[in-house]
Amino acid sequence: MTASQTALVGVLIVWAGVVWYLVRIDRKIKRGGGLK
Amino acid sequence: MLMAAIKIAAVVLLTGVTIAAFLTAPPLGGMQAGGDASRLFYFHVPMAQVSFVSFMVAAVFSVLYLRTRRPDHDMMATVAAELGLLFSIVALITGSLWAKQAWGAYWNWDPRQLFLFALVLFYGAFFALRQATPNLDTRRRVSAVYLVFGGAISPFLFFVLPRLYRSLHEDANQVVTSTQSTMSPLVGTIFGFSSVGFLLLYIWLFKLGVAAERIEQDAGHRTV
Repeated sequence: MTASQTALVGVLIVWAGVVWYLVRIDRKIKRGGGLK
Repeated sequence: MLMAAIKIAAVVLLTGVTIAAFLTAPPLGGMQAGGDASRLFYFHVPMAQVSFVSFMVAAVFSVLYLRTRRPDHDMMATVAAELGLLFSIVALITGSLWAKQAWGAYWNWDPRQLFLFALVLFYGAFFALRQATPNLDTRRRVSAVYLVFGGAISPFLFFVLPRLYRSLHEDANQVVTSTQSTMSPLVGTIFGFSSVGFLLLYIWLFKLGVAAERIEQDAGHRTV
């Protein structure tokens, strides 16, 4: 694997974590009835 | 339905941009551009753009607050200022990482770096000011005036002043005489998708921030 491919895997893992976190907050807020 | 589409589009676009950014050749050639570090171009510039948009959104909601005195507008302006600050800090960090590779140091007293840092300080001071104003009505009014002033100076700090001084940022040295882009079609396409992706992500974050604030307010907590 080249350096940029290795970096890509790392960045995608972090990005997946960010998306997972955002979706989790989104669902929590919707469950709590905070979204109009 | 529209929000769901925005969220999905943001994730799909930014995932695609990340893959393309790392698997295509670095967007800017030559050692002066920082080689592989120039891939940061696809993230650093759109984030700076989004921070500008967010400061403008904050100013618009502040004007609306001053006209209507609706607390919701004050809250939305504050959420926009928060997000603008967040995106400008990340743009500053990614810019410094790239600058280390391209120009040899994290901090170069480059006009664009300096003015973005000035904006970070300006909006950082906003939250200190807000927290230090105990009266709710005064806090909202002072905040609105501060953010309108921020919206008025942001275009100068982002676009005008960096062009008045010699900059390490290449585009700032060019006199804009035509609308023709110097980017290759591939780089331009990835950059365009990235700009749209970050804007959609911003809309998502803004919506989340507003919803979270409403919950905090309903619970009787004072946050921003």
